[in-house]
Amino acid sequence: MHLPDGLMPVEMALAGYAGSGLLAAISLSRIKHLPDPSALVPRAAMLTTVFFAASLVAIPVPPTTVHLMLAGLLGVMLGWFAIPAILVGLFLQAVLFGHGGLTTLGLNGLILGPPALLAFWLWRAAGRRWPDVVAVCAGSGAVVVALFIFAALVLAGMPVALDARAEQTALWAFMLAHVPLVLAEGLIVLVVLRVLRRTAPQLLPHG
Amino acid sequence: MSLRCRSALLLCLALVVSAPQMALAHAAIMEAEVAQAIRLHAFYETGEPMSQAQVIIYAPDDPAQVWGQGIADMDGRYEFIPDAIAGRWSVQVRQAGHGVMAHLEIGANAPVITVSSTPDTWAQRALMVALVAWGALGTALYARSRKGKPDASA
Repeated sequence: MHLPDGLMPVEMALAGYAGSGLLAAISLSRIKHLPDPSALVPRAAMLTTVFFAASLVAIPVPPTTVHLMLAGLLGVMLGWFAIPAILVGLFLQAVLFGHGGLTTLGLNGLILGPPALLAFWLWRAAGRRWPDVVAVCAGSGAVVVALFIFAALVLAGMPVALDARAEQTALWAFMLAHVPLVLAEGLIVLVVLRVLRRTAPQLLPHG
Repeated sequence: MSLRCRSALLLCLALVVSAPQMALAHAAIMEAEVAQAIRLHAFYETGEPMSQAQVIIYAPDDPAQVWGQGIADMDGRYEFIPDAIAGRWSVQVRQAGHGVMAHLEIGANAPVITVSSTPDTWAQRALMVALVAWGALGTALYARSRKGKPDASA
């Protein structure tokens, strides 16, 4: 679920860069004020790779295919580090795979960044009390939020000449096709956190 | 020949002369000419066609205005015959926020098609993932090795 080059208006692409830049600045500022900012760097590096490679995992959902996003997992596991991890991952995906685009890098950052932060805040607020429920909600909820941001951006940047009704119908079909992914990403976060709880509880993120 | 007979003959003659014109008003005419068409095939990177995706075409002389638009067929194919305007034609195929913008360089003699991108092979993708993973592993190990050590720049 990446916005490609050439489809979005220039002003929206610039606004996307401004928004993502602001998000990155806030994240880096928060990271800087952490007690040990470098402690999460190894985890962020490895999860960036996982996020980068996840776009290759295509789940066939006729009539289309969907890709893993992992915004919820990154948010829960990395907190504020999720924003630079997502932006680096998106940049590498655009340059190496052609997923997304360089002009839409900012917009794609806004599609995945805020859902990751929402997952982080949800985990921090209620993760200790209801870890399983919150893990599923964080993973699934991040996909749902990302889908709605994506749809809103597509509708906002739609050319006048385009058949709006046909595009809206296609968007609804696209969002419905992501229902299995919503469930899958909730399950992924649940499994990862459960495995960590049993094998390496010191790695569990507790905000 | 009487005057009445002459008048009837003239009326018949007039009807015969004007009949083809009246018949033409209901006739269907077809003209055929050979034209060079552009055939597009839009598909996702997984190989699935962009069925019934919307196609928007921009001519080189006015890239801000839509020259033509249509809907691709179930196989993601679409054909159009461009005007005799040499230059860079832009074609956008999109569906649900996904799509591609391709450019066709049409010259005086023949069109030169510019494909938007070439799909990578799985081997290339695996190599790229391995390289990025290697970089991340290096970053992780570097960060771990520096932990606990005094900052050399201090």
